Amino acid sequence: MTGSGTRCLHLRLAMPSDPRYLPVVRGAIGPLAASMGWNEQDCLAITLALDEALANIIRHDYHNRADGLIEMECRESVDGLEVTLLDQGEAPDRTKICARAIACDQAGGRGTHIIKDVMDTVSYQATPGGNRFVATKRLRKTI
Amino acid sequence: MKISVRDAGKTKIVDVEGDVDLGTSPDLRRTLFAALLEAPKLALNLAAIRYIDSSGIATLIEVLKDSQRRDKQFVLYGLSPAVQHVFHLTHVIRIFQVFQTEEEALGSA
Repeated sequence: MTGSGTRCLHLRLAMPSDPRYLPVVRGAIGPLAASMGWNEQDCLAITLALDEALANIIRHDYHNRADGLIEMECRESVDGLEVTLLDQGEAPDRTKICARAIACDQAGGRGTHIIKDVMDTVSYQATPGGNRFVATKRLRKTI
Repeated sequence: MKISVRDAGKTKIVDVEGDVDLGTSPDLRRTLFAALLEAPKLALNLAAIRYIDSSGIATLIEVLKDSQRRDKQFVLYGLSPAVQHVFHLTHVIRIFQVFQTEEEALGSA
C-alpha cells in the first residue's frame, strides 16, 4: 500500500519467439492467476489461453522463426487481469480468427477458440511495428 | 518431454512425460505415427503429462483419424485432472476412447 492507492501486480517480460520458452511463461502465469484468487481450474484455463496466444504469435506472426521478440505485460486491475502481447511479426489475417466453428474431430484451429472461450474480452490490433493482442478476464468473487 | 515405446502383447504403448506444447508435439506426433504402423492397437499413457495445449490435442486427433483409416485402435489412459480439463475445454473428450488404467486400456476391444 502506498498513500491512498493500492499497488497491483504488474509483470513484464520479453521472450524470443522460440517455443522452448513457453514453459517458462506458463510457469509464471499459473501462480500469478492463483495469487489473484482464481481456482486451480481457472488458473489452468488462463495459462492455456495465454500459451495459445503466444503459440499463435510464434506460428502465424513469426512463421516459426525463433528470433522474433514477444513482449508480455500482465496487469492486475481492480476486478481482474489484463494481458497485453506485443510482437513485431507479420500481421495475421484477422478475418480468419475464430471465423468458423470447430468440429470436434477437426485437428487444427482450436487455439483462438480456447482464448475466446476462456478470456472475457480479446482484441487483435495492428501497430506501426507489428501486432498487439489484449485479453482481459474478470475475477468473479463469490461470497 | 520424454517419450518411450514398449510392447504389451499386440499393443504398442507410448509413455509420455512432461509438457506437450508447440515445441514438443512434433516429436510426439512422429512417435505415435511410427508406433501405429507397427501394431493393430496403440495406447498412449498420459499419466505423467503435466500440460497439453491445442497442438498436442491436434496431434492426438490426427493420430486417431489415421488409426481409423487403417482400421486400428488408438486409446488414451491415465489422464490427470489437469489434462482432462484441457480435453473438456477443447470439446474433444468424447471422440477418444479414454480409460483410467493401463489394464483397462489394454482390455478394451
